[in-house]
Amino acid sequence: MSTAVGGHNLDLACPPDDVTAVHAFLASVWETEPTLSTEDRMALELALVELTSNVIEHGAGASGVACSLRVDVGQDAVEALLTDDGVPVPVDPRAAQLPDALAESGRGLALVQMVVDDLRYERVDDRNRWIVRRGRGGSVASSASRSD
Amino acid sequence: MDIVVHEATADAAVLECSGRLNMVSAPTFRETVAQVVTGGRPRVVVELSKVEFMDSSGLGALVGCLKTARQAGGDLRIAAPSDQVEMVLKLSNMDKILRTYPDGDAAVTDWG
Repeated sequence: MSTAVGGHNLDLACPPDDVTAVHAFLASVWETEPTLSTEDRMALELALVELTSNVIEHGAGASGVACSLRVDVGQDAVEALLTDDGVPVPVDPRAAQLPDALAESGRGLALVQMVVDDLRYERVDDRNRWIVRRGRGGSVASSASRSD
Repeated sequence: MDIVVHEATADAAVLECSGRLNMVSAPTFRETVAQVVTGGRPRVVVELSKVEFMDSSGLGALVGCLKTARQAGGDLRIAAPSDQVEMVLKLSNMDKILRTYPDGDAAVTDWG
């Protein structure tokens, strides 16, 4: 694992790294961005930990998976890019929906959709690329209603 | 995450959780609830005021533990969710499935 907080970059090798490193990384990003609202932080932490969890759970090959997370905090929006060298993702993440109430998995991408304004997935040069954008100052609820 | 088990009554326990309920801690959480239920306390209250973060892995664990408790004739209730936990419960509509109480004592007392 290596971090460069000034540029808000985190590199992970899983295993041994896991989402604990993402939580710690985001805490350090928030320290350098004190004007970002609590609601924005909660939304982005949920989105980025969900996406990284998906990569670790579904993308890892025999030797694990390596991923890079970049977070850019702008005046109007926060953009994040998560790339990994795992297997391609066979589903359309933008069509994710909540499963049955008593399902024990399958909620991750649907939750991400609700707390960000834009979620895109691309496969480029044998890498998965997850691109997230959330406008600053929006409520979680308003993001959710826009995606309905 | 840390979990402290309080044996509240003969058949109910309050699990005081702190930290994060995510893919790292979910297996331990499931195991702890399973031990409490098989140990004779199928009425489980999960106290979440000190849980700073929960995600879909945590939700899945709560649903799994709800099933474990019900299969043993009990139930699972949530007490004092933090703001972040409450956000995730509402977004996922799980606030309609998992009954929430202001604190652990209230959840246990309501069982009578």
